[in-house]
Amino acid sequence: MHPSKLKFIVLSLFCAYIFLLLPWSGFALKIRPDFVLLVIIFWLIRAPNLCNVGIAWLVGLFVDLATGGTFGQYALAYTITAFFAVSYQKRLVLFNGTQQLFYVFLLLLISQVVLLMLKTFSGAHFMGWVYFAPSFMGVLLWFIAVLCGLNTGGRSRGK
Amino acid sequence: MRRFNHKLEQQQAPAFFVRGPSAFARLAFFSTLSLVLMATDARLQYLASVRQSLQTLIHPLQLLANKPSQIYRDVDEYFTLHNNLIDENQRLKQHALQQDIALQKLNTLAFENDNLRQLLQANKAIVESSIVAEIMHVGRDLFTKKVIVNRGETHKVVAGEAVVDATGVIGQVTRVYPLSSEVTLITDKSLAIPVQIERNGLRAIAFGHGRDNTLDLPYLPINVDIQRGDRLVTSGIDGVYPAGLSVATVSQIEITPDSPFARIVCVPTGGIENHRQVLLVSIPQVEAMPESAIESPAKLDVRPINAQAKPPKIPKPIPPPKPNNTSKPHASE
Repeated sequence: MHPSKLKFIVLSLFCAYIFLLLPWSGFALKIRPDFVLLVIIFWLIRAPNLCNVGIAWLVGLFVDLATGGTFGQYALAYTITAFFAVSYQKRLVLFNGTQQLFYVFLLLLISQVVLLMLKTFSGAHFMGWVYFAPSFMGVLLWFIAVLCGLNTGGRSRGK
Repeated sequence: MRRFNHKLEQQQAPAFFVRGPSAFARLAFFSTLSLVLMATDARLQYLASVRQSLQTLIHPLQLLANKPSQIYRDVDEYFTLHNNLIDENQRLKQHALQQDIALQKLNTLAFENDNLRQLLQANKAIVESSIVAEIMHVGRDLFTKKVIVNRGETHKVVAGEAVVDATGVIGQVTRVYPLSSEVTLITDKSLAIPVQIERNGLRAIAFGHGRDNTLDLPYLPINVDIQRGDRLVTSGIDGVYPAGLSVATVSQIEITPDSPFARIVCVPTGGIENHRQVLLVSIPQVEAMPESAIESPAKLDVRPINAQAKPPKIPKPIPPPKPNNTSKPHASE
């Protein structure tokens, strides 16, 4: 592994965070994909020795700060997602493009479900199925990134 | 025994790569940490200062993220048509003229009101100070209705202040950071606002609905005198919102035979998601009332003025506004 990768990780997470901080509103806010989590998943797959559950937790805390909710909600959601990403990381490298897309979608969904549970415990209402739109948008973004030539470690691309 | 130990060690998988603790151990550790954080943040107040300082840290990032849309707006404004500007100017002038006339009347009325108050030996009316703020962005949490405004602790904003725009109340300041503050909108599920129906003075409490941009008026009996189109204004008895500000209009009344309460839906009058500029109105402060004003029963007629005081400061002879407030002293005795 390149030692410079850590720099890339920090830089990409920073960019994703800025994307999160953009003044989204209305419908765009509802379907906004979770940029930060996508970047974390990418690095969890590519470099699990550098980006692991701990990084996911720390970044989750910063997302908590940005959303203004109770501390620890995003952190827990990201931690659990990162755990699933890391524990199947070795198999994931063998997946082809479509399988990987599905897997990323599942990971995004896991984080949303955990978050929904935590929010429901603290008295929020489920807002309807549009709540899961960010997962679809996230996987779409991942797909576009793969099409643009981002190497996400999928097996059979280009063969 | 020794042999057994030896055997156990042999069974451990050889580590090819040094990766620290296993994923599951990390999951357990960080999940516990998150849960502890959540409990601390939800139940105790320790993390407020941590949140404030971290918020100061990300404030520059927030400004950076707001830059593109701000530049777009500036460019857009720069290229507005000349005609539009002339139109707007004319409209504003007309508006200013109308308001000037109203203001002249107000001056006379205020003077007259002062005189009358002096005659009655009543308190001075409460004068609220206010700060103009601009909405930086809408809250990112989809489960709550919040906005972030660009005035904070350094601008002397205090948590609890009412937030008003040109057309009515839009919410309340719930968290203050050094350079910005968080406003919970009246449509949020956790916010309640004491209101009064303008037509007949009936008091009620409006709750945010949470999902749609509406307000609910719960716990009103089905025979309550309320009609579609009734305007709700702040009653001012909570000591937070100044009295008489427009809050919402009744849009729907549903009466079901199996419920003793009517379901009343109201639409907020303030441009909850339209305006950029808002006014943060400070919490009204009044000095203790002079004794003479309390004792003579005639002065009790000036209820609305006294009622604007903060609840703890209301002297005993005046009944507190909410029924559950009155029940508390009995419970403790």
